[in-house]
Order: sequence, then structure tokens, then C-alpha cells
Amino acid sequence: MQKLLLRLTLLLGTAALLGGLGIWLGLRRGYVDAFYARFASPPARSLVLGTSRAAQGIKPDVLAAQLQRYEGPWLNYAFTLAESPYGPGYLSSIQRKLAPGTKNGLFVLAVDPWSLSLPKDVKRGKYPFLSKAGTLQRLAGGKGPVIFPEEQSMVSQLADVSQNPNLDYLAHYLRKPFYQLLLNADTAHVVERLHPNGWLEIALPPPSADTALLRRRTADKLATYRKLAANSSFSEDRYYGLLETIRFLQQHGQVVLVRLPTGAQMAELEKQYIPGFDNRMRSFTDISHVPYLNYLDQPYPTNDGNHITRQAAEQFSQRLAADIARLSN
Amino acid sequence: MVGLYYALPARWRAPLLLASSYYFYFSWRPSYTLLLAATTLLDYYSGVRMSRLGTKQQRRPWLYLSLASNLGTLFIFKYFNFFRDTAGALATALHLPYAVPVLELVLPVGVSFYTFQSVAYIVDVYQGKLAAEQKLGRFALFVAFWPQLVAGPIERGGQMLPQLRQPHEFDYDNVATGLRLMAWGMFKKVVIADRLALLANPVFNHPRQFDSLALVLAVAAFMGQIYADFSGYTDLARGAARVLGYRLVLNFRQPYLATSVGDFWRRWHMSLSNWFRDYVFIPLGGSRRSPARNYGNVLLVFLLSGLWHGASWTFVVWGALHGLYLVLENWSAPLRARLAQATGLAARPRLHRALATAATVALVAYAWIFFRANTLPDAFYISTHLVQGWGHLHLPQLQALMAGLGRHFVAELVVAVGAVAVLTAADYRAERGPVSVWLARWAAPMRWAGYLGLLLATLFCGIFGSSQFIYFQF
Repeated sequence: MQKLLLRLTLLLGTAALLGGLGIWLGLRRGYVDAFYARFASPPARSLVLGTSRAAQGIKPDVLAAQLQRYEGPWLNYAFTLAESPYGPGYLSSIQRKLAPGTKNGLFVLAVDPWSLSLPKDVKRGKYPFLSKAGTLQRLAGGKGPVIFPEEQSMVSQLADVSQNPNLDYLAHYLRKPFYQLLLNADTAHVVERLHPNGWLEIALPPPSADTALLRRRTADKLATYRKLAANSSFSEDRYYGLLETIRFLQQHGQVVLVRLPTGAQMAELEKQYIPGFDNRMRSFTDISHVPYLNYLDQPYPTNDGNHITRQAAEQFSQRLAADIARLSN
Repeated sequence: MVGLYYALPARWRAPLLLASSYYFYFSWRPSYTLLLAATTLLDYYSGVRMSRLGTKQQRRPWLYLSLASNLGTLFIFKYFNFFRDTAGALATALHLPYAVPVLELVLPVGVSFYTFQSVAYIVDVYQGKLAAEQKLGRFALFVAFWPQLVAGPIERGGQMLPQLRQPHEFDYDNVATGLRLMAWGMFKKVVIADRLALLANPVFNHPRQFDSLALVLAVAAFMGQIYADFSGYTDLARGAARVLGYRLVLNFRQPYLATSVGDFWRRWHMSLSNWFRDYVFIPLGGSRRSPARNYGNVLLVFLLSGLWHGASWTFVVWGALHGLYLVLENWSAPLRARLAQATGLAARPRLHRALATAATVALVAYAWIFFRANTLPDAFYISTHLVQGWGHLHLPQLQALMAGLGRHFVAELVVAVGAVAVLTAADYRAERGPVSVWLARWAAPMRWAGYLGLLLATLFCGIFGSSQFIYFQF
């Protein structure tokens, strides 16, 4: 037994040493993916929240520079529509990411109809077997609680969201082999780069450089969202999730709801999909005194008819910061 | 677990294994543990009762009861909806009323494996080939032994029960061999199988966007994927059992070096092939009946084998295709022998063998299309478009094929080809004798450098957290 343990210790120890060294080099010099840096950064006191539109469209460093009255560090903690629509999963992740003791943070919540929708055929769970309320609801023909599609996603599941290196993320959610971390050291030729402050930079050529390509990307994106619109509807459960998120964050600072600019055709699609969306968002101003800033129809160039370009993200973040500063005065 | 296992007094090790096996199953879906326990209890009791009865006629009711319990479980959980849907489609075509409800049941993991293992046990006891196990705990461990509970190998009572009766002391060679097998199995799964899946999946999920080269590459990728996946799982299972002191049966013996389809089935999923041979083919008369009856038996066995894999027509066609291959192979044997003589191939055995292996691999690969395709129309599309469109290269198709590998697809291809080359070399070496014996002849520093290389290759090139083993679904 001793011989085996000694040999195993030597073998596994050497493997761990060399493996650890390689991964450390990869994390230090290379690039992981479009999510990891947000989970490896320290807890933040001011957050940008939402889906991919906010992830690419709002630069926290620009907000931080102009809105110094709010506590830092700042982090763009927006992910994707599949990972971070409003609901209990995203809220619990936000609660884990927010630095304890935050009193004067700024929380920019990007909203759009998609992040407040659910599939029409959403699965529903059963009420707890012994719950009296559940029994009564069942008797009254009530439906079971919604099973949010993102419940098993990394944002909902990852327990430690401020660990560097985040081994839990690397072991369970990294979708590429470790050796590729070392291949991504060349920053000059990559399309996607997640900055340490959480801003996702998509380094595509400006749309004017290839209008045919932009048209194709826009058509693809619109087709995807038309399908989504046909199979989804505005969800009161998600609306309630947003309300819960606002209530939680208001205890730690100022909350602002923002509807980001997007492509003209996408904006039109959204208006058709949920016509009264802006009114629903304005209701938060009445209920919770949360300002709602709507930039939907503002003409910013996009990469794909949905997400604004990196140059536009800079301009938009400047404008957003100026508008929030005006609100605060 | 292993530390505790060997730290305990010998008499407590089997109970620990039983408890851990049930905990393993319980942690997946607690309610189904009751199903496992209930069928185990019934099989145990049937076995014990049969052991006290003198004639087969007296034992028969207990055999039927046990078979009904095992095959009934399998039918309800795995096949009911398949037959319901098929009957429904038939009724609709004939304009007949049909209203059988769908059973919304989750398939118990490993049910195809542990029910077949129990059926083998109960038939062996009925035939008097095996003494019934008198200790319930030991029998329960035979059925639920965690290393092989969810995806085999399908063990036999005669092979496994004597091992369960022996004390298992710590043995360096057993543990070292087991760990080596596990490391090799892990490499096959995360470095080879999960990487090849990235090539195969885009095509099998949207086959109509592809033809010719892209389809051929995807089929070849799946062929490698399923071998590395299932044999990788088996190595992990056999390795884990070996660490605990148990020897599970060999399930794979370099199947892609087979020289005929019959030879392939003596090398691929051997525990299942042997099960069908012993409990279906031989009781049907085996090969001692007329050629027509023999061919009919072969076809039936392979249809059932296809159905065992999954309740879908794609699996049925896959099984039927293999049955057809074997029938044609047996029927054409004299003709092929004469052809080999006439062409001079018989005098060049190495070339003859290489050609036979290439033909076998091509036939097996063609059949894999039906195994992997999501629907029967998809399978027919792929199988008929493999040979179309070779006149011109479709760059967008190849780009779509490589898209699954990501931005570093060249590096990924290099890793995939390298890893498959290592697996192929290991298989060639294994044809000439056990790899462990060959490894033992290496100088110690070389051998340990090899182990270290394998671990580091798995760590750096493995694709983690993506997919479960293919055979877990059966």
C-alpha cells in the first residue's frame, strides 16, 4: 500500500504541478472565454446587468469615470439571453456578486422584451406535496410554479462567482480544452475579448466596411428573433423577477432601467412583439421610483442588427453616463 | 471510498460496496432505487425457490415470474411508448380509432443492463448451470455493483458471484492495473470521443445541409466517437472494479481490426453479443438447424439487439442491417474463398486480411449511420448522399463541419488525429498480446513518463463537462 501511495503521490503530484503551471500560464497570458473574467473578478459595488446587448453595449469604465459619486469597483455582469434573463437564477448570482456592505452603488439594468419573456410551452413544476397552499391552488385549477429554462445554466448554478482562478467554472463550464488558453495569447487578431471590467468587446470591422455581410448577419439575427417571438410571450414571472431584483438592489444604491439602442428592424420587431413594453417599464418608476431611460430608436450602428458596435458602445456609454448624472443632480 | 474499503475489516467491504452502489443509484433518482430493489428481491427469491425444486417443470413458474418482472420492467419503461406510437401511426393510416395514453416515465438508467444480467442469472439457475445465490446482500451486490450498474459490461452469475464470495485484500498489481485502465478510459472519453463528437454532431443534427465528403467525415468521426466513448466507459468500469479487487469481463477486443462482420461481433460489446448468443440464438436452435432457419435466427437476434439499444426504428434498422450483413457473409463464404484463390489473394494473407478489415470497417461504418441519425429519414438521406456531390468541393459545408471545433480547428484536428493514432497503435499492439505485459517491459522511467504524458494529455486536451456516455441512454 505504501509503495502505491508513494508512486501515486509522485505521479499525481508531478501531473498537478505541470498541469497547474500550464493552466496558470494560460490564465495569466491567454484568454479564457466570453464569461470567465466576470466570475474571476472581485465582488463589485456597481453593476451593469442584462443580456448580451448590455454585455457589449455598456462600458463600465466610461460610467465609472463620469459617475464617481457611486461606489466602485464597477463590473459589467450581463451575460446572454440564455444565461441571464431576469428571474431567480440571475438574482441569486447578482446577490453573490455584489460586494457586502455596498450602500451607494449604481445598478444599470438593461431591459428588453426578450429578457422578460418565457417560452409559451414553459414547463411547470408541481406544488410541494404537503403544502397547504399548493393543495388549495391545485384544487382551484392553478398551474404549478414556472421552471425557468435558465435554472441549470452556469449563471444560476455557479456558487462562487468571485474566485481567481475560478476552478469550479474551469472544471464545469469551460467549453474548450485547456491547451487552447495558451493559443489565445495573441490579442491583435481576436474577434471577441472580454475585458476584466466585464465589457465584451466584439472586434468586427465597422459595418460600413462590408454592408453585404452586415445585411446577412442582420437577416440571420432577425430570423432567430422572429422565431423567438412566435414561441414566447411576455412573462409575469419574469416581470416579478425584475421587480425582486430592483427591490434587492435598491437596498444597496441607485437603480436605473435602460432600454439599449438596437437595429431599426429589431426595434420594430420588438414593438410588434410587445407593444406596451415601455409602459410596463415606466410602471416601475411609479412603483419603485426607478428611472427608465429608453434609447431604443437612437441610431447607433450595430454588428448584426441587434448588438451595437464597439465604437458605438463607447459613445452610448458616454451618453448614458451623462443622462444618469443629470438624473442624479 | 477506496481508502475506506481497504481500511475496513474484510467482512464489511461487500456491505460497503452494496451501500455505495445503492447510494450511487439513489443520488440519480431516489424513487427508481425502489424499482431496482423490488426486481432484485423478486429475482433473488425466484432463484432460491428454484434451487429447492427438483425438475425444470417445477421451476418453470418461478422462471416465468422472474422473466415477467425483468422484461416487463424493460417493456414498460423503455418500449411501451415506442409500440404505442407505432400502433398509433398504423391505426391512423387505417383510419381506426386509437386512444392509448403516453406513459410519461423517465427511463431508469442502466435498466437494459441490469435486467439482462438478472435474466441471465435466473435462466442459468433454471437450467441448473448455476447454484442460486442464497445470500440476499450478495445477490443484490451482483445486480447493483456500481462500477458496471449503469452501462455494463453485462456480467454472468458464474463469473461474478464466486468473486463476491471471496475476501478482497489490497493487491498492488490489481490497484495499479485498475488505475491504468481508468486513466486510459478517461483519455479515450474526454480527448477522443468528446472531440470527435464536435465533428459528427453538426452534420447528424442538420444532415440535409451536407453531402459527399462532409457526410463521410462525419460518419467516420462518429465511428471513432462511439468506440472511444463506449470502450472508454468500459475501461473506467473495469478499472474501478479492478481497484476494488474484482475482474469484470472483457467487452471490447480491437473491433475495428475485425476481418468480417461476424468477427466484429466477437470483438464489439462482447458481453451483450455473448448474452444474445447464449440466451436467444442457441435456444432458437443456433446454427445446427437448416440454413434458412439459421439465417432467420441470425436476423431475429440482430433485430432484438437493435431494439435493445433503443426504442426507435433507427436502432431496429441498424440491427437488421447487421443481421443482413451476417447472413450474406455466411451465405457467400464459399464464393469469397474461391474468389480469393482465383485472384491470388489467398496466397498473400496480410493483404487479404487488410482488405477484409477495410471492407468490414466500411460496412460497420455504414450501419452506424442508422445508429446515430436522429430520425429514419435523416438516416436514409445520409446513407444515400454519401456518394453524391464528389465532383466539386463544397467549402461552406466543410466550414460548417469544422465550426463545431471552434476557432482553433486546425489545432483541434491535429489533436484529434494524434489521439486517434495513439488509440489505433494501442489496438494494433493489443492484437499481439496484452498491452500491460508490453508496458511492463519498458524501463521504469519511460513507463512513468508515459503515464505522466497520458495524464497531462487528458488534462490539457480533454473536453470536460460537456456530455455523458452514449450508452448511459440505453
